[in-house]
Amino acid sequence: MSFFETYGDRLITAFQIHLFYVLTSVVIGFVIALLLGILLSRVPQYAKVVMPLLSVFQTIPGIVFIGILFLYLGMIPATVISALAVYAIFPILKNTYTGLLDVKKEYIEAAKGCGMTPLQTLIEVELPLASPSIITGLRMSTIYTVSWAVLAAMIGLGGLGEFIYIGIASNNDQLILAGAIPSAIMAIILSLLIDVLRRAVVPKGIRSVK
Amino acid sequence: MIRFENVNKKYGNSVILDDLNFNIEAGEFVVLIGPSGCGKTTTLKSINRLIKPDQGKIFVNGQEISQVNPVKLRRKIGYVIQQIGLFPNMTIEQNIGVVPKRLKYDKKEIQKITRDLMEMVDMSYEEYAHKYPSELSGGQQQRIGVLRALAASPPIVLMDEPFGALDPMTRATLQKEIANLHKKLKKTIVFVTHDMNEALDLADKIVFMEHGKIVQMATPEEMLANPASPLIRDFMRKSALAADTLNLTAADFLSANVISVQKKKSIRECTDLMARHHIDSLVIKNEDQTYAGVVTIKDIKKHGKSSGVIGEIEPYQNITSDILENAKDSFDKLYSSGDNYVVVLNNDQTIAGIITKTSMATAMADTLWGDMQ
Amino acid sequence: MDASIVLEHLYLVAMTVIFSVIVGLPIGVLAYLKPSVRKIVLWSVELLQTIPALALLGLIIIALGPGKMTVITGLVLYSLLPIVHNTFVGLESVDSGIKEAGKGMGLTQLDRLISVEIPLAFPMIFTGIRIATVTTVGVAVFATSVGGGGLGKVIYQGIRTQNMNLIVSGTVSLMIMAVLFDVLMIWINRRLAKGTRNQAF
Ligand SMILES: Nc1ncnc2c1ncn2[C@@H]1O[C@H](COP(=O)(O)OP(=O)(O)O)[C@@H](O)[C@H]1O
Ligand SMILES: [Mg+2]
Repeated sequence: MSFFETYGDRLITAFQIHLFYVLTSVVIGFVIALLLGILLSRVPQYAKVVMPLLSVFQTIPGIVFIGILFLYLGMIPATVISALAVYAIFPILKNTYTGLLDVKKEYIEAAKGCGMTPLQTLIEVELPLASPSIITGLRMSTIYTVSWAVLAAMIGLGGLGEFIYIGIASNNDQLILAGAIPSAIMAIILSLLIDVLRRAVVPKGIRSVK
Repeated sequence: MIRFENVNKKYGNSVILDDLNFNIEAGEFVVLIGPSGCGKTTTLKSINRLIKPDQGKIFVNGQEISQVNPVKLRRKIGYVIQQIGLFPNMTIEQNIGVVPKRLKYDKKEIQKITRDLMEMVDMSYEEYAHKYPSELSGGQQQRIGVLRALAASPPIVLMDEPFGALDPMTRATLQKEIANLHKKLKKTIVFVTHDMNEALDLADKIVFMEHGKIVQMATPEEMLANPASPLIRDFMRKSALAADTLNLTAADFLSANVISVQKKKSIRECTDLMARHHIDSLVIKNEDQTYAGVVTIKDIKKHGKSSGVIGEIEPYQNITSDILENAKDSFDKLYSSGDNYVVVLNNDQTIAGIITKTSMATAMADTLWGDMQ
Repeated sequence: MDASIVLEHLYLVAMTVIFSVIVGLPIGVLAYLKPSVRKIVLWSVELLQTIPALALLGLIIIALGPGKMTVITGLVLYSLLPIVHNTFVGLESVDSGIKEAGKGMGLTQLDRLISVEIPLAFPMIFTGIRIATVTTVGVAVFATSVGGGGLGKVIYQGIRTQNMNLIVSGTVSLMIMAVLFDVLMIWINRRLAKGTRNQAF
């Protein structure tokens, strides 16, 4: 019997589960990170303390979040999703904050001078100008998340990691490839999609300014 | 139209605005001038509430502005800053439409306003309206900056050194345009500068400030006739001096690091030299160092061969001027000839340097405005 | 948990960084010197980092079998991006006037590279090495899955035996290691950067 007849269905399910973990946690992480980033950029004096702390936290590998949440929440998808979401927050938060802070004062002053409210200034001037940086953060988060989602299998929650783990444990090259190649492809496709998103989101007038 | 009553502002212990009192009538073009740091910007920003004074009252159109919603206030006051501040993520039309859009003008109306305003400064709507600010030159950008401030027909326009970052030529053109706009539209304009020429040209009234106080508020004629302090007299004197380009000569404007080669230089070396310095022509010297002419990369291409020496190519007789020639005559030559530069020659016909349009603009800026900062 | 595991982890990180520099620096220089291969080189190292870490290790294990060699190879491939990228960008952004001066003095390309351009680009290159080091400290936890040991082993064990102490001590060691490397290398770079015009960021 060929490999695909034996594993085909399981592989497709695993791919779907993996993708589901990645998309949900990146979306959740993105929303939280964007809000926190905006909030922090309004109070740069606190951000000076918070940001370095965050980059220390960022050195914690994703496996630790999964491991600890596993001990408290047990073997449910929410464990993986919330752990990955927490991990997805950091790069986006950092890039949102620095992106917003890098917006030149003159644009903000001009916006005020034109009678824009703070919310209008944020939405129509600051966020569009920070969008290249924010998207870069989103891309990093997504790639990391695909990578760490492999660990879901470690606590028995499926995804493509299952193939890799079992493959390594049982010395089965085919299984390793069956997990590794689709997860690599997923990461590459998602990052290409984000490049497409970048074209759509980043305003034309600032595209040359990377 | 605008009235300051005992307005004070401090940062820490330093007094920035020291009990300011003045009145600006509707339709007046008022220029705030004074040395750097004297509080011009602070005064201006107090008017649209970008800065809040510590004490005193400011009235705009009879209303005390601390009682007015700042967003509403600012929509009735145009604002132009030195850094221009066009939103890079919006097209020219969107930039001009920023305030009208918020005042709920409809799309057609905004388009018409944009078109009309752009016409007033001779910029084609078709060509520029859908471009982004980064695609425009500095002068064009600031024209749009001014138009953006005018778009919702605010009765008052504030301008903070709007032309300070522009080269002298563009600056002069924009000054003319703003004077015309003022004549046509009858706005009340408060304009900050540190350039007395600009003030004298544009103002109905000049407000001279020093250390957060008004030293003199007067018409240009009055201020010229009776400057109220030595500092004002000094400002006037410098500007008068600067305006007098008549006794400047070509020597004052030339750029001395011109690349020149002897006729016996090989053509290959010459093309290398041009590539290395990113230039498309070389000044050619005779054996005795005297000027022979100019060879361009085109001439070399036409010549076809890269072997041999540069002297084999007949040099182009570029316009020249004598080093003691009046600068204005050199400029006129430069502009009427169509050549890219004037070659300036010493008395013995050796090469002193060249005057390009850029070196001229930089030198002008240095001479006219350099020491006024 | 004992010190030998920390040392094992440090060993993995050190070997990785050394080999990534040995491999990455020349690749960065190549990208700088040869515009024809620039795009493909920069794109390849970016692609490598896009592949999930464990997938990459899985692929290498097929070729090399389990063990430290596999781990180090995988981590080296993973850390090429910041080093190659920063080497290239650092060299590109050396002031063109300085490069001309070197040419003008008749230095050969190799001479210029070694005595002028690399020294000036070094703070930037070193920043790439720092980023690679700090990232490697974290990614090296995967080592344990392919028989490479290190702090990942402690954390995995903690999770498997539901031992919070073990997880925390593994994680904290890891964080301290990452922060120490970061701070130390930023400090070194500041000292190195004095006197060169290319500031690191
Ligand atoms: N936010 C601030 N904090 C402290 N000092 C300030 C601030 N803004 C302006 N100043 C000081 O106030 C003085 C007046 O500034 P400004 O009105 O900008 O002068 P100018 O006449 O050059 O426009 C300057 O000495 C400046 O240093
Ligand atoms: Mg000012």
